[in-house]
Amino acid sequence: MHLHLLFNELKLQYYEMRQYWFETVSGLILILLMFVGLFYGIKGFVVEQGDNQSLDGLVFGFIMWSFASAAYGSVTKTLIEDNQKGYLEQLFLCPQGFVSLVLHRSLADNLTSVFMVTIIAYIAMAATNNWLDINFPIMYGILLLAAPSLVGFGLIMCGLALVFKRVETIGAFLTLGLMGLVALDGLPFNLFSLLPFVPGVSLAREVVLEQSPFIWSHLVIVLANSAIYLGLGIVTFTFFERKAKKLNLIGQY
Amino acid sequence: MLSISGLSKCYKDKHALENVSFDLDRGEIVALLGANGSGKTTTVQSICKLIEYDEGTITLDGEPTHSSNAYLQKVGAVLGGSRNINWRLTAKQNADYFARLRGFSGTKIHQNINELHSALGLDEHSKKEVMKLSTGNKQKAALLCALSYTPDFVLLDEPTLGLDFQTVDDLQTIIKQCANKQNQGLLITSHDLAFIENICSRVIVLHQGKLLFKGDVSALKSKMYKYRLSLQLNDRQQFPLASMQSLWDGRFAITENPETQIVDVHFETSEQSLKFIHHIHEQKISIAELKIAPLSVDEAYQALVKSEKQ
Repeated sequence: MHLHLLFNELKLQYYEMRQYWFETVSGLILILLMFVGLFYGIKGFVVEQGDNQSLDGLVFGFIMWSFASAAYGSVTKTLIEDNQKGYLEQLFLCPQGFVSLVLHRSLADNLTSVFMVTIIAYIAMAATNNWLDINFPIMYGILLLAAPSLVGFGLIMCGLALVFKRVETIGAFLTLGLMGLVALDGLPFNLFSLLPFVPGVSLAREVVLEQSPFIWSHLVIVLANSAIYLGLGIVTFTFFERKAKKLNLIGQY
Repeated sequence: MLSISGLSKCYKDKHALENVSFDLDRGEIVALLGANGSGKTTTVQSICKLIEYDEGTITLDGEPTHSSNAYLQKVGAVLGGSRNINWRLTAKQNADYFARLRGFSGTKIHQNINELHSALGLDEHSKKEVMKLSTGNKQKAALLCALSYTPDFVLLDEPTLGLDFQTVDDLQTIIKQCANKQNQGLLITSHDLAFIENICSRVIVLHQGKLLFKGDVSALKSKMYKYRLSLQLNDRQQFPLASMQSLWDGRFAITENPETQIVDVHFETSEQSLKFIHHIHEQKISIAELKIAPLSVDEAYQALVKSEKQ
């Protein structure tokens, strides 16, 4: 862990959020409206059904999806957006290496995302007087352990983007695919456990939403899923990075 | 010292670099000259590890750079003109970000950034994002980022691209200060020979990936011709190229453009041309046009590249 890189990425986010305050505020208002919409729009339906957990489940699903999108997007946007912003080559000059920089950036993005979504969720709960029965610290703890699988997946996409360039279409498709991932159940171990992030969401659902007892072997599956995808992502990205450097493709987007 | 030894890079069958070797010491300003496609940018990118070279070694203070990225803390670079900083941030924010990216932060770095920001004349644009700056100021912002943490070696790829005369002057002053006061070594690629002549102690000339010349500016200038005589004959058969050769003493180079049938003679002193002109007059050779003109530095450089190639 290189704290100066993490701090640098957090500061970069602060600079951009402050500089483009309108974009920041409108983004936050949009998320707030989505929460309020979820609370009010579903409330009537939920009360009719007499199922108090449905609202929690829906909000849980929404948070999972936003977290998964942030974790995956934090990696891919580095390569695609920063290339368009024009400074990708300079990021490759990071003494700790580009992959290390991307991992720190991703962590910074996830921490910010967690912080913002939680604050907004509480504002929405207070404004609508719908108090969710979700233990946010435990949920985020599990999600942060599961996030590396999506970061690894993002690194695979970035590696492909370095060499083949235009991969936004696949990226957009995968962002939608994340909705499916957060709905699957990967615990106890089954075929879905092999998909990225699925065991993490399942564990969070078990512990936080269903308040089932914590099972250590499930945590091992989450950690293994994260480690395998992250490892695979780093190896794949390094392979394509070498190829891109051989063909002089870095920065040519 | 930054040492490049036997650097080669091939794309399919074409050599982008072929056995290029040179050194850059701290406090030195060295120019990397060459036409488009000569291998200047490939050399800079190889030093920055942005491309993987096929053969050769690059060492910094004796340590090979291929095994670790740590050396990048000692290297600052302006790559591809002004297209290498975050356009959504201001120049100072960029400088702060890139200094910290290399592992440098604190009061001293901020003080250095503030001083450079003023010296580069960016103070009046301090609140503007880079995307709102002019080309010249974008270039200055990129330079601010490269110099913000006072790296031992600075690589500047075409730093004068799109700059006006005043800005080029300012840039020269700053580059000289970097070398003299901060003891930084600077490697500058450029087409702008006048700029290079003013600030560089040594010159490296590349042509089609090969090292054409390595030495000080005066040695390069002594190799460059000073005049060009252009001759167009009415009857080309009347005065064959071989007989022209014997009419020149000293160092000269004769080239003929087969399409225009214009013969160019590059030479060093005005006296050299007298025998040739006398011969034309004496033999009553019919000419359509004859011009003698001093060469600009750029033209002289082009002539040198051409003659070395031949």
